[in-house]
Amino acid sequence: MAWVTWRQHRSQGLGALGLLVALAVAAVLTHLPIGSAFDRDSLSACVPPAARTGCDLIVPHFEGQFGGLVTATRFLALLPLLAGVFVGAPLIARELEFGTYRFAWTQGVSRRRWLLSKTALLAAGIVVAAGVASLVVMWWRSPFDALEGRIGPNGFDVEGIVVPAYALFALALGVLAGLVFRRTVAAMTATLVAFAATRFLVSDFVRPHFMAPLHRVIAATAAGGAPGDWVLSNTLVDAGGRRITAGREDLAVLHAQQAGIDPHTYILTLGWRRVISYQPAGRFWTFQLLEAGLYAGLAVALVVVALWLVRRTPA
Amino acid sequence: MSTPPLVAQGLGKRFRRDWALRDLTLSIPKGAVVGLAGPNAAGKSTLLSLAAGMLAPSAGSISVLGGDPLASPEVLGEVGYVAQGAPLYRSFRVADTIEYARHTNSRWDREIAVELLTRIDSRAKVGTLSAGERARLALALALGKRPRLVLLDEPFASLDPLAARELLQLLMDGVAELGATVIVASHVVADIQRVCDHIVLLSSGCVRLEGDVEELLESHRLLTGPRRPLGAIRGVREVVRERYSGRQLTLLAITDGPIVDPSWTVDPVSLEELLLAYMAPERLPTPPTPERVPLRWHG
Repeated sequence: MAWVTWRQHRSQGLGALGLLVALAVAAVLTHLPIGSAFDRDSLSACVPPAARTGCDLIVPHFEGQFGGLVTATRFLALLPLLAGVFVGAPLIARELEFGTYRFAWTQGVSRRRWLLSKTALLAAGIVVAAGVASLVVMWWRSPFDALEGRIGPNGFDVEGIVVPAYALFALALGVLAGLVFRRTVAAMTATLVAFAATRFLVSDFVRPHFMAPLHRVIAATAAGGAPGDWVLSNTLVDAGGRRITAGREDLAVLHAQQAGIDPHTYILTLGWRRVISYQPAGRFWTFQLLEAGLYAGLAVALVVVALWLVRRTPA
Repeated sequence: MSTPPLVAQGLGKRFRRDWALRDLTLSIPKGAVVGLAGPNAAGKSTLLSLAAGMLAPSAGSISVLGGDPLASPEVLGEVGYVAQGAPLYRSFRVADTIEYARHTNSRWDREIAVELLTRIDSRAKVGTLSAGERARLALALALGKRPRLVLLDEPFASLDPLAARELLQLLMDGVAELGATVIVASHVVADIQRVCDHIVLLSSGCVRLEGDVEELLESHRLLTGPRRPLGAIRGVREVVRERYSGRQLTLLAITDGPIVDPSWTVDPVSLEELLLAYMAPERLPTPPTPERVPLRWHG
């Protein structure tokens, strides 16, 4: 089956290789100005916990200068989806659409073994490709990771071992969708929708609770959390610990202005504090492991369902 | 004698609400060359798909080479199945397709396949082959597996008569070498009558006629005589079809003895005629009964 898989998917393999090369070239080219700016402004001295004087000016300037590029790298989170849409979805759907399953599934290899071998070999290739992509992105993002951390979605979604896990999940999703919908385009659409929905649900509702978030109470007028942490919520509470609504805050500021007092001082005199709930930067790899495990587990479950279905599917 | 290569028992297949195949009980003898005949939508493809494990029966069971093709797909390694239209990967070269079969069949025999493909450029893409070449390639793939059972679904459908004859010859040569049992489905009787020694005629999902070709031809006779009300005829067990033309009556009948009535001309029947008679509705639209025929003074 290795030869068969290679023969049928080599163009996709070449496509993946081309994509990786393009990614690497783009990464090197865009990283040149970032690296030189980082060195020129000796930003390494601003990496927490070190804080040279002037960092509060240089770091925001640096981040602002390359903010657009960082935002662009967010789209790399879609890269694993390609494995599902262009490799997984057509795997069975194309055979069903063109009738070639009648050839493929009546050879000396049972369709279950056919599906298992193909999926396993493709999964191996995809893990390697996604791993390389992840390494490239990690290298590219290293200055930003150092300054602002990577446990937040900006870094977390495109770095580390979750990237291959997302790709595996997408692949399995595509394979199953192809088997269920039996049409390539329908399977691709279903893969896209299901992948996006799962990713959204996990990153917004599951990941923040992988471990109980930590809380930190700071002065009401201080800036957010420590750099590098993933801030989940940032709420203003009064002396009694009750949450202060935006309306109440506005009112307080208004009061202070009418009385000619500095709003900051006024709020401090009220005894208001800020409660920050966050996931510390140190949990990055634990979270990576948990999320990658979750997606890899989902992928295995989907493949098991597909293996069970493919035998029963009247073709 | 070993188990028959294909046994169906009460086999039925339903698509949504329509039965494509109903209560089919069948046993194909080992080594037979079976013509699976029947009009379009008779259930021929459905039967072959069930045999190749492409479909699951809705009722009854089918056993291929002693195993259930769905539950124990390993029997498919010894089944050479060519689906209708010979679906193959169009972007593959001929050589790639052969490699595919070699990698997925442990009993692969290169010689057989190569022999069948002598006049086909192995570097050509499958999509560019002519219908005849493609059918030949599909047959080579099926026979290269050294199958014990060959299932061909309308292999001649898109071929001109010459190519069809050539393909049939290749098939028979290959099969003779392998000693395999063959089932060829075709709605064109002429395609199969030259080679098959066993007939299964399907119509609307039911077996209309099944048996050894020679025995069938032996037991059926064409009786021609003047038009008359039909009673029992000595030597005739059952009338399959009656056809009136003018004042003449032609019966296709199953005989169980010599026809002694001299007013009947008795002729042997051809396989094509036999199959067509069984394919047609039970009784052809009966023309006006003899009594109502107006008397004519002349003739």
